[in-house]
Amino acid sequence: MSKKLTVIPEQCSGCSICELVCAIKHFGVNNPKKAAIRVLTTYPHPVMRMPIVCSQCRVPACAQACPVDALRWTDGVVRLDEENCISCFKCVEACPFGAIYAHDDCDLPIMCDMCGGDPECVKKCPKGALRLIPEAALGESKRLNNVLSYTQMKEIEFYEKGERKIIHYAETGKEEL
Amino acid sequence: MSIKSGYFKKHLHVDLTKGSAERRDLSDAFIEKYIGGRGFGAKLVWDNLKRHDFKIDPLGTENLLVVAPGPLTGAYLPSSGKNSFVAISPATGLYGDSSLGGGFGVELRQTGIDVLSITGRAPQLSVLFIDNSETTILPMPELKGKSCLEAEGMIKERLGTYAVHVATIGVAGENMVKFACVNADWGRNAGRTGIGAIMGSKNLKAIVVRGHRDIPIYDMIGLMAEADKAFKYMEEHKYFKMWQQEGLMNVIEYANEKGILPAYNFKDSVFAKHNQINGATMLDHYKIGDSACFLCPMCCGNICLVKNGKYTGTVVEGPEYESCAMLGPNLGIDNFAAILSANRLCDELGVDTISTGNIVGAVVEGYERGILSLSDLDGGEITWGDEDAILELIRKIAYRQGIGDILADGSRRIIGKWPEMDKIVLQVKGLEQSAYDSRAGASMGLAYATSDIGAHHTRAWTIAREMEEGQNWSDEEKVDIVIYHQKLRPLFDMLGVCRLPWIELGLSERHYENFYKYVTGKEASLEELLELSNDIYDLTRLINARLGMSRKDDSLPYKVWANPPLTGPNAGKVIDREDFQRLLSLYYRKRGWDEDGIPPAGVDRKFED
Repeated sequence: MSKKLTVIPEQCSGCSICELVCAIKHFGVNNPKKAAIRVLTTYPHPVMRMPIVCSQCRVPACAQACPVDALRWTDGVVRLDEENCISCFKCVEACPFGAIYAHDDCDLPIMCDMCGGDPECVKKCPKGALRLIPEAALGESKRLNNVLSYTQMKEIEFYEKGERKIIHYAETGKEEL
Repeated sequence: MSIKSGYFKKHLHVDLTKGSAERRDLSDAFIEKYIGGRGFGAKLVWDNLKRHDFKIDPLGTENLLVVAPGPLTGAYLPSSGKNSFVAISPATGLYGDSSLGGGFGVELRQTGIDVLSITGRAPQLSVLFIDNSETTILPMPELKGKSCLEAEGMIKERLGTYAVHVATIGVAGENMVKFACVNADWGRNAGRTGIGAIMGSKNLKAIVVRGHRDIPIYDMIGLMAEADKAFKYMEEHKYFKMWQQEGLMNVIEYANEKGILPAYNFKDSVFAKHNQINGATMLDHYKIGDSACFLCPMCCGNICLVKNGKYTGTVVEGPEYESCAMLGPNLGIDNFAAILSANRLCDELGVDTISTGNIVGAVVEGYERGILSLSDLDGGEITWGDEDAILELIRKIAYRQGIGDILADGSRRIIGKWPEMDKIVLQVKGLEQSAYDSRAGASMGLAYATSDIGAHHTRAWTIAREMEEGQNWSDEEKVDIVIYHQKLRPLFDMLGVCRLPWIELGLSERHYENFYKYVTGKEASLEELLELSNDIYDLTRLINARLGMSRKDDSLPYKVWANPPLTGPNAGKVIDREDFQRLLSLYYRKRGWDEDGIPPAGVDRKFED
C-alpha cells in the first residue's frame, strides 16, 4: 500500500531537522543543502513556514520534461533512472512545487524517494508537521486540510501609514489537531 | 589524539577600508586551544588589542568585529544553531560578546570558514556578501534608515534570492546607539554589548551568507546515535510540550511566583497583573506560530499577532522572557499587545530589548523622583504604563532625538549627565542588568558582578538554585556554582550550540564531550573542555584588566544594596555589601586571581600563539 507525504504548515517551527536527516540518510553528509525537503519561511506578511515536499504526482511534470525518459512513477514514487539521467536538470525547473533540488557536488537531481516507504523526515519531525497518509485516505487528508483552513484561517483588516492591509493567519490554539 | 575533522581551518578577514577579503589558514594548535565561537573571538580580539597597544576606540575603524560559529554549529545534534559576535564593546569599553540563533551561523560555516573578522570602515553604507568562496562588499546606500526587517527583504530582492541568511542592523545601529543589536532571520538578535553600533561604525548594514558546503563531521554514525539519544531524552521530558507551546514565556509566571520579576524599574519584584502578560495569555489570544533555531525541537520562539485594538496587525517573533519582562512589568505595562508592539519596534529599530527596557524604566523613575525635569524630557511627560510615551521614547533613542541622544549612549553617559541617576539605573560595568532580580540571592549578584560583559545572565544563572536552597547554603557552594556556570555556559558559546536543552530540560552536559569527539575526532573529557573554557574566562579577564578594570568594577547596582523590593516573597531583601565583598574575595581566590581581581603575571603567556 503506497502512502503519501503530507504537510501541516501551521505546525512547522522551521527547525530544519527534516532537511538534515534527509541529507544524512541519502548522502551520509551533514548538509541541509543536499536534502530533498526544504522549509520555506516568509515573514511577516504572511507568516508562513512551509516544508516543500515531493507530491509524487501520478502524471509527473518532471517526467514529462525529461528528454531521456529517466523518470517514472511506479508504486507511488517517482523514480529516477540514474543510469540514463543526463543531468540536464530540466526536471528541477519543471516541478510545479519546486520540490526537486540541485547541488554543485551532486551529478543528479536531488529527489524524494520516500525512504522506501518510511520517510526519515516524518519520523524525526518534533512538531508532527509532516505526516504519512495512506493513499486510500488521500481525499480524507485533503478534505481535512481544507476544512481546517476554512475553520482556522482568519482575516483581519488594519491600516498602516494610511494604507489598508489584510493579514491572513491560522488560529492555532492549545488543542492538538 | 588531535583534531581530525569538524573544521574548515579557514579564517576570513575582511578590511572594509581597503575593500579586501583574505582567507587565512587556522593552525591545529589554535583550533584545539580556542575551540570556536567566543573562544576564537576572545583570542582574535586580544591579538588586535596587542597590535594597537591596548588603545582601541570601540567605534573606531581599528575595533575588530569577530563573527564566529563553533565546531558543533549546524551539526546533527539538538539546538546547534548558535553564532557569537565578539568585539570590544562600546557600552562597556571592555570585552563584549553576544550570540544569536536561527540559521545564520550554520549558513556562515557552510561557506567554508570557521570564523569571520571585520575591520575598517566602508566608504558608504554597504553589505558584506559571502557567497561560498566569493566575498564581495556591495555598496547599498539605499538601505540607510531602513528597519532590520525591511532591510532583510530589500537585500534578498536585490540579490534575487530568498535562500540566504542575513544579519542586519537597524536605524539604531547606523546611529551607533550603544545598545544596538544585530538582527537575523527577522527576529533573532545578538542583543547585548552594542554589537550593532560596531557594525554601524563600520558602515556595514548587513552580513549576508550563502553556503552550500558539507559541514565536516568525523564520525557521522556515532554522532547520529549520540544525538538521537539526546533528542529522545528531550522529547520525553515532562516539560517538553510546555516549552514548545510557551517557550521562554513560561518564565514570567515562575519569576513572579519566586519574586524575581522586575517591575517598575526593579522597585518591585512581583507584578500584580502578571496574568495579563504571561504565557497562558499569549497562548489564548496572541500566538499564531512557533519559531525554532536550527535543529531545535524545543522551538522556544513564539510568533504573535495582535488581532484587535490599537495595535492590530502587529506581528512579532517573540516575545521571550527578557523582552516581555523588561518592556512590560519593568515599565508598568500590563497590556500584552503594547509589549508586542514595543518588541516589534525594538526589532525594527535594532535595539536590545533588555537595555532599552532598563533605560526607559530608569527615565520613568528619574522623572517620578524629580531627578529629570520636564525640559530634560523635551516637554513630554512619561509615567508608568504610558504606552504611547514609552514607544515614542524608544523611537527617540534610536533616532537620537532630544533626550534620546543622551539615552542612546547608555547608562554610563546617563549617570555622567545626571549623577543622581546612579541610584536608579541598574548596570554593571556600563551594561544594563537583565531581568532576574539579584536581591533574591547573593550568588546571582556575584554572577552579574563578575560576568565579563557586564550585568547579563549569560555567564552564570544561579537564581533557580538560590530559590531551591534559600539561605541554607554556604559561601563556598555559591562561589563554586557561579564558577562552574562560568565555565560551562561559555563552553556552549564556544561550541556554537544553545544551552537551553541543558539548563531547562536537564540534558546532561556529558553529551557534549561525545558530540565534540564525533565531530572533531579528538577525544576530550568534559573536564578538559571546561578547562579550555576557563582559560577563555582568564583571557577575557585579562583583556578587561589591561583595559583598566579591577575589583571596584566588580560591583552591583545601587538598588541591590539599598532598595529592597517592596512586596512579594523577597520584600525587604538586599545584598549586604560586606557579605558580597567576602564572596568576591573567595571567588578571586578560587579563580587564582589576586585581591584586586587581576590574573597572576605570566597568564598572558598562555595566549601568545
